[in-house]
Amino acid sequence: MKTLSLQNLSKTYYDLYEGSHHTALHDISLDIPAGEFVSVVGPSGCGKSTILNMVAGFIPHSGGEILVGGQPVKGPGRDRGVVFQSFALFPWKTVLDNVGFGPKMRGVPKAERDEIAREYLAMAGLSHAADRYPNELSGGMQQRVGVVRALANKPDVLLMDEPFASVDAQTRMTLQDELSRIWEERRPTVLFITHDVPEAVFLANRVVVLSKGHVLADVPVPIERPRVWDKLVEDDAFKELSNKVLALVRSA
Amino acid sequence: MVSRRILGTMTFIAPLALLVVIWGIVVPVFQVNPQIFPSVPAVVQAGVNSILNGTLLMHVGASMGRVVLGTVLAVLVAVPLGILMGISKGVSDFLTPLLRFFSVLAGIAWIPIATLWFGYGFGAIVFVIFNGVFFIVVYNTLLGVSTIPMSLRNAAASLGAGRWALFTEVLLPGALPNIATGVRTGLGFAWRGLIAAEMIATNVGLGYMLFVARDFYQTEVIVFGMIVIGTLWLLIDRLLLAPFERATIERWGLVR
Ligand SMILES: Nc1ncnc2c1ncn2[C@@H]1O[C@H](COP(=O)(O)OP(=O)(O)OP(=O)(O)O)[C@@H](O)[C@H]1O
Ligand SMILES: [Mg+2]
Repeated sequence: MKTLSLQNLSKTYYDLYEGSHHTALHDISLDIPAGEFVSVVGPSGCGKSTILNMVAGFIPHSGGEILVGGQPVKGPGRDRGVVFQSFALFPWKTVLDNVGFGPKMRGVPKAERDEIAREYLAMAGLSHAADRYPNELSGGMQQRVGVVRALANKPDVLLMDEPFASVDAQTRMTLQDELSRIWEERRPTVLFITHDVPEAVFLANRVVVLSKGHVLADVPVPIERPRVWDKLVEDDAFKELSNKVLALVRSA
Repeated sequence: MVSRRILGTMTFIAPLALLVVIWGIVVPVFQVNPQIFPSVPAVVQAGVNSILNGTLLMHVGASMGRVVLGTVLAVLVAVPLGILMGISKGVSDFLTPLLRFFSVLAGIAWIPIATLWFGYGFGAIVFVIFNGVFFIVVYNTLLGVSTIPMSLRNAAASLGAGRWALFTEVLLPGALPNIATGVRTGLGFAWRGLIAAEMIATNVGLGYMLFVARDFYQTEVIVFGMIVIGTLWLLIDRLLLAPFERATIERWGLVR
């Protein structure tokens, strides 16, 4: 696992319709120590996805620096695993081959990467789905595959942009429980984008509140682990913290 | 499933069979001149003869060989080009006007110049087939690449895929349903072009078979040839191209 550091990061988009430049992010600084889980929340349009896409290397940044383990980011790379809101599984590959894709790109032989993929699928309770195609799975199962596909490539940092936004509420809570468990076992460095405040608090060590392109607040979450919804739904400290963050987001 | 397929085939064949029945009645009843239109038995006889003396096989073999070679060459060049256009706006902007222009000419408009370049026969006709398939496959590949969600390309890149892996693992399979559609449509045009080209530029093949029979007023050979041309295409299309297209769309096509 590695640290993720954003230093005075900014992003200016060129607006084709207006014919003018538009600053989406000004001067974002954020340090995520190795093995820490940080959630970023904020109202729609405040620049959450922009941050994640720049860290992933999908779009260039306009100013400042992005460092992963001290190294500047230049384009996408296997050191940063990404989980997409739209799952982004390869429809023409089986679940097993989707999960084995990262190892395949590293040149791991077929038998070995199948073994890796099976091990990760087992972790997400998906062993039975290995030979199926993504379209044969429910949304919740697809996103489990999305998460283990990213993990199976052993990234230094895991980036997630509203990964559970397109599944139903019940499934979402199960997935949050599972992600929490997986994080506790493996301790990856995580940057997790969401606009769901309870989700952000439930999962993270710290919640960063973003407002109109800058950091409004950085709230630590000192709730003990392991965290499961069964315990936390009624937990006063959890509720209080959630309300506090919610108030910050509202004021943003 | 099986019985539904048989039923489907029956409903497809029934109108054609009816046409043959009407033909079988009309020709003797009105005593049609065989130099205008042949009778059913005459056509059957012509068919049997051409099978027995091997000429049918010769003509079909020649036509199919040209179609297969022209199509394979066209696909091999068109798919990488279409993908390149799909990922590079510069290449696409540059080539699109050229494609638009030449796709209008695709087909038999090329025969005169093709015969000057390749001589009468195999080369010129393969070139015509190539032309018929090429442009439509380039265009469909381009379309296919543009339907691949950006997130799939991003996912591959962040899992460590380089340029080549992106091509073989994402762009090519992602565009495959559209490529299949392109090949199917393109071959439909190329098949028509083939017959026309063979009438002009060769001395063997189904088109030539029709054209020569005309010189001898052998309407039964002409009609038999027309039946072969239509039937062959339906077989190729229904047994090969359509199932391939359907399979890729079923397996892949859930993104769209
Ligand atoms: N490609 C683009 N071109 C121009 N402006 C963009 C582009 N992408 C995003 N923006 C603008 O940048 C700002 C931040 O967008 P971003 O997608 O990062 O917001 P977000 O916080 O992820 O919102 P949401 O919660 O709705 O996903 C918005 O004002 C948006 O309109
Ligand atoms: Mg967003």
